[in-house]
Formats: sequence, C-alpha cells, structure tokens
Amino acid sequence: MEPDRKLAEEFLYAALNIGERMLQCGAEVNRVEDSLRRILKAHGAQRADVFTITSSIVVTIYAPSFGVVTQTRRVLGNRFDLTRLHMLNQLSRDLCAHPQNIARIDARLEEIDRAPAYPFWAQMCIYALISGSFSIFFGGTWRDGLAAAAIGVLLKLVDALQTRARLNPFFASFSSSLIGGLLAVIAVRLTLADHADLISIGSVMLLIPGIALTNAIRDMFSGDLISGLLRFADAMLIALTVAFGFVLAGRLL
Amino acid sequence: MREIIVELITAFLGSLGFALLFNTRGKHLWPASLGGLLSWGVYLLMGLVTQSDPLRYLVAAAALTVYAELLARRLRTPATVFLVAGTIPLIPGGSLYRTMECALRGDHAGFSRLGINTLLLAGAIAGGILLMMPLFHVNRNNMREP
Repeated sequence: MEPDRKLAEEFLYAALNIGERMLQCGAEVNRVEDSLRRILKAHGAQRADVFTITSSIVVTIYAPSFGVVTQTRRVLGNRFDLTRLHMLNQLSRDLCAHPQNIARIDARLEEIDRAPAYPFWAQMCIYALISGSFSIFFGGTWRDGLAAAAIGVLLKLVDALQTRARLNPFFASFSSSLIGGLLAVIAVRLTLADHADLISIGSVMLLIPGIALTNAIRDMFSGDLISGLLRFADAMLIALTVAFGFVLAGRLL
Repeated sequence: MREIIVELITAFLGSLGFALLFNTRGKHLWPASLGGLLSWGVYLLMGLVTQSDPLRYLVAAAALTVYAELLARRLRTPATVFLVAGTIPLIPGGSLYRTMECALRGDHAGFSRLGINTLLLAGAIAGGILLMMPLFHVNRNNMREP
C-alpha cells in the first residue's frame, strides 16, 4: 500500500471511526490508543501518535510519502456494549494481520453497528434481576427482593423516557433515584416489603457509578491521569445526585 | 451457612444481570457471570485469613483478573468483557451511596469515615486488577513508543 495524502486522510478517518466506537463501548483508554497505533502502523504509517481521553481522540500520523496528517474526534456518549467491543477488537486484530482498504473497513463497521441488542422487555427483566438480586445480597428478605425487582422494571421505563427526552444525565439520575426511593418507602408503608433502605440499595446498584469509580482509579494508576480524573469527577457528581434523590425521598414521606 | 449460599447465589445473579445489561452474549455470558461468583467466593474465603476488608477486596480482584485474562486469551476477546461483570459484587456502590448520604445530612464525621472507606475499597479493587494485569500485558503499557 503506497498511500498518498488524500488516501491517508481518508484512512485515518476510518480508523478513528473504529477508535470512537471502541471508546463508546467501554474499552479502556489504553486499549484504544494501542489498537489505533497498531492499525495505523500496519497500514503504512511510519509514526503514529495517538492521544485519547474519555471524550476525545487526537491522532497524528507520519510517513515520507504523505507527510504529517492530524485528525481529532470528539467522542460523545457511552454505553457499555461488550458484544460490540468484542467485534471491534476482532476487527482491529484482523486489520493488523491483513491490511484492508477503506471500503472493507466501512463494511465491517456497518456490520458491527447492526450487532444485536436485547429487546426492551428483556432489558426490563434485566433491571429487575439486578435490583432484586442486590437487595437480597445486602441482606434484604425475599419480599424486599421482589419489591426491588418491581421497582427495577419501573426504573427501566423511566430510563427509556429520559433517554427519549434527552435529559441532562445528572438530572436523569437524580429523578430516577427520587422515584426509586419514593417507591421503596411506599412499598414498606403498604406492608408489601420490610426494609426501605435495603430495597433502595438494590436500585442504587443500577444507578450508582461504582464501575466508573473503580475504572477511574485504574486509569489513574496505569498512567492515564487525565481520563482517570475526568471519570472520577463524573462518578462523584453522579453519586451525589443519586444520594440526593434517595435522601430527599426519605424526607418527603 | 445459609447466608453464605444466599450471598453466592445473588452475587452470581447480580453479575449475570450486569453481563446482560452490557449486552454480553453467547459463549461469553456464562463465564462472565461466574466471575461474580468467583470474586465473592474468594472474598468470603479470605475472611478465614484476615478481617481487613480492603485486603480481602484486593485478593478477590486479583483472583478475578487472572480468571478474566486467562479466559480472554482462550476466547480471544478483551479481558474487560469478564472483568466488568465479575467485579460487580465487590463494587462499593452501597458504601459510596451511604457516604454521599452523610454528606447531604451534614454528618461530616460520617462522611469522612465512610468516604475514606469507599475510596480504600475502590482503590483495593483497582489495585488487585493492576497487580495482575502487567503479567499478561508485557508489551502493552511498558513499551509505549509511537
């Protein structure tokens, strides 16, 4: 492959499409940087400098045939999707082993975008499973678990409405936790369940950014300080809004 | 004894829930969910040796990381796929929540006590993962030349 400048620009654009999706699906900053560097070098870049934080990717590639090319990508929104992450990882391995043209990469990306997701009713069951399991895990009775599961289903509905309304994420987590907290207290008042706090803990696991907090610290210790600090601040703000919602629910009733 | 069994079962179900939530499919789903059972099992076992929670979390996370990395190698997929679901029972979500609750109630003593505990636990999990990961990625982090 003897890329001229225009081709290099287009190829870098396609490579950034891969990196952007990896980041959105929940890949570590480290992995995105490493994959992009490998892909670009396998396709003719002599030098590839990749800098990634959780919300942006900056890449500069160099080879004597096309000179220096730089592009940046603003990465918005992320939803963990481990099936897509697996497919993207496979794509980047394949690309390093057998360099491909841009059309072929675009076709593979389209295929990845069409990867299956669980239908809405299944996601409601998943919310119920998580919320119910953790309520019992933290010491709730089976009645608490059932109440938490029912609240989980409702929280999925709330989440769907919030996504449709494009609500501010902090306000979204606040309102979800307020609703969750109110329902937990009501369930206990109606003597349908036994411990409002243990029911709430089940819904908290759905809302609280525990994984983000752990990942933030992981990022920091593996040298990605900026990403780590960004994630940390984000996790803390979300945790604060979630707690605020639940505490307010306790005060209101 | 009954408590332990209930905890192990719900840890497994909770991890299964999160694996599904993050769209884990096919041959990755069961190994990912079993990771939660493993990490909580190791946590409980460590209770025989020490009562220090951070230490138990650290060892549990380290064991899980070895499990995730070995599976990742075998199934040719990022270790994250197994790591995320498996750490779920360890995640100090409840503790983080109680910390923030103290902050909002104006209980500063409780806030700092629980806050430090939460950070220690999150740090212990991250530490356990970071302790084992370099063994599997000799040429990733350490050789970052452009």
